[in-house]
Amino acid sequence: MVPYNFAVVRGFRCPTCSLEGKRSERMIEWVGRKTIAGYAYLAALATLFAQAVLDLIIPPRQGRGETFRVLIRQILFTGVDALPVTTVIALLLGIIIVTQAGTQLPRLGAGGLVGSIIVVTVIRELGPLVTAFIVVGRSGSAIATELGNMSVTREVVALRLMGIPISRFVIMPRMVGMVLSMVCLTLYFDVVAVFGGYLVADAQLTIPLDAFAESVIRALSTTDVFMTAIKGLGFGSAVAAVCCYHGLAVRSSYTEVPQQTTRAMINSFVLCLLIDVVVTVPLYL
Amino acid sequence: MSEAAIIFEKVRAPMLSGDRHLEMDLRITPGACVVCIGPSRAGKSLMVELAAGLVVPEAGRVFVLGQDWKEVPDDDPRSVRLRVGVVLQQPGLLSNMTLFNNVLLPLRYHRGAMPDRQREQAVMGHMERLGLASLRDRFPAELNQGEVRRGAIARALILDPDVLLLDDPVAGLDADMVLGLKTYLDERRARRPLTILAALRAWSPLVTAADRVVLLRDGQVEADGTRDAVRDRVSPALRRYVE
Repeated sequence: MVPYNFAVVRGFRCPTCSLEGKRSERMIEWVGRKTIAGYAYLAALATLFAQAVLDLIIPPRQGRGETFRVLIRQILFTGVDALPVTTVIALLLGIIIVTQAGTQLPRLGAGGLVGSIIVVTVIRELGPLVTAFIVVGRSGSAIATELGNMSVTREVVALRLMGIPISRFVIMPRMVGMVLSMVCLTLYFDVVAVFGGYLVADAQLTIPLDAFAESVIRALSTTDVFMTAIKGLGFGSAVAAVCCYHGLAVRSSYTEVPQQTTRAMINSFVLCLLIDVVVTVPLYL
Repeated sequence: MSEAAIIFEKVRAPMLSGDRHLEMDLRITPGACVVCIGPSRAGKSLMVELAAGLVVPEAGRVFVLGQDWKEVPDDDPRSVRLRVGVVLQQPGLLSNMTLFNNVLLPLRYHRGAMPDRQREQAVMGHMERLGLASLRDRFPAELNQGEVRRGAIARALILDPDVLLLDDPVAGLDADMVLGLKTYLDERRARRPLTILAALRAWSPLVTAADRVVLLRDGQVEADGTRDAVRDRVSPALRRYVE
């Protein structure tokens, strides 16, 4: 029979065996280990990103055509192919926000703020974030899965054996393609969402186009547009680095692929929100 | 160190199966065809991976074409890497490319200035000699194991390397394909010197083409020499690998 261990369960500090002490030591050790692992993870992502930037700035003489082909494919997949879904989501979001704002604000005597609401919620915040989530769900998961499968089937090793550097041929074009696509998609999302808002403003709230446009333009500053682009840049870099990292972290089993893909998606979402906070709070607080 | 194409200098590397180590001190002269043969888990794949610079030995050094792998950067365009063709047990053909594009990839990446027509001729030349011409537009998932392996061999030889490392090159190949592969390698060696280090796990016609046979068991070299010398030297249990 296993004796019931009161010392552990009730937090009793035993003067002879010091069980409580051991437990707290374990906890401190766990926190320390997790903190170090977190820093190591961020350092690995930063290294991956820095290497991709170096490969972009100092392009090699060899393989330019092939690398460019991979980049174009990535832009087509992440950017162009995502246009329909981005259009639908942006349009619906714009409609929802202006419907809510248009029905609530006049009660408070602030009906003229519809333009400000769409600028603040969509262009500043939801546009970049929702676009990032679309890109993570479509392309981020695809990159992590593709690289994971490449690792298992040893395609990554085969590339290395052919003298084709992974950072130049695999990571850099995916990262650049994703960043460019993310920035363009974010700006596109904002435009479509504002247009969706206008459709509701025109049909339901009888706000004419010139009044709606004037309201939006009055609320919109250059900083808003600039920050949207900056967020797109930051989110694109983070998502690409995280998804490439987790894809290449797969070692030898196909069961690791969905595990790493899930991790890549969750970490991408968290990192995007963190970047959003870091960018937004100092600027608008 | 330049007199030998491949040198395993007092190499010691841990094997996957527990606490055993591969221990090897071997020199392979340029242009030689060396077959390393032995039972499963003998360390043959590890030997190929050491020679390919994929595994760093715990002790000792591995030189290929006079260069220690430890001193070879991966991204050097003039790297010795381009003079070494490698086919591992898992050949690693890129699944999103056709067989033709897989074989073409090293040429496209490293010989960008080469005219398209010349590149296509070079690829088709290799593919025809290996009986793969009719499969040029198939993706790796549509090929059988032997076709994938021959495609990987064609890809490994497309840059005209000085050294060819093969891990189990006859896996999935029928008797005619093995003979075809042997003829292909013989022709290539007759045209230009090519050092071959091939790991095999059973007797095959490739053994007869070898200048030298290394018999490996449990990470140790049991016998090393010409096929006849090895056959006379080893126990009857191991003799069936060479005859």
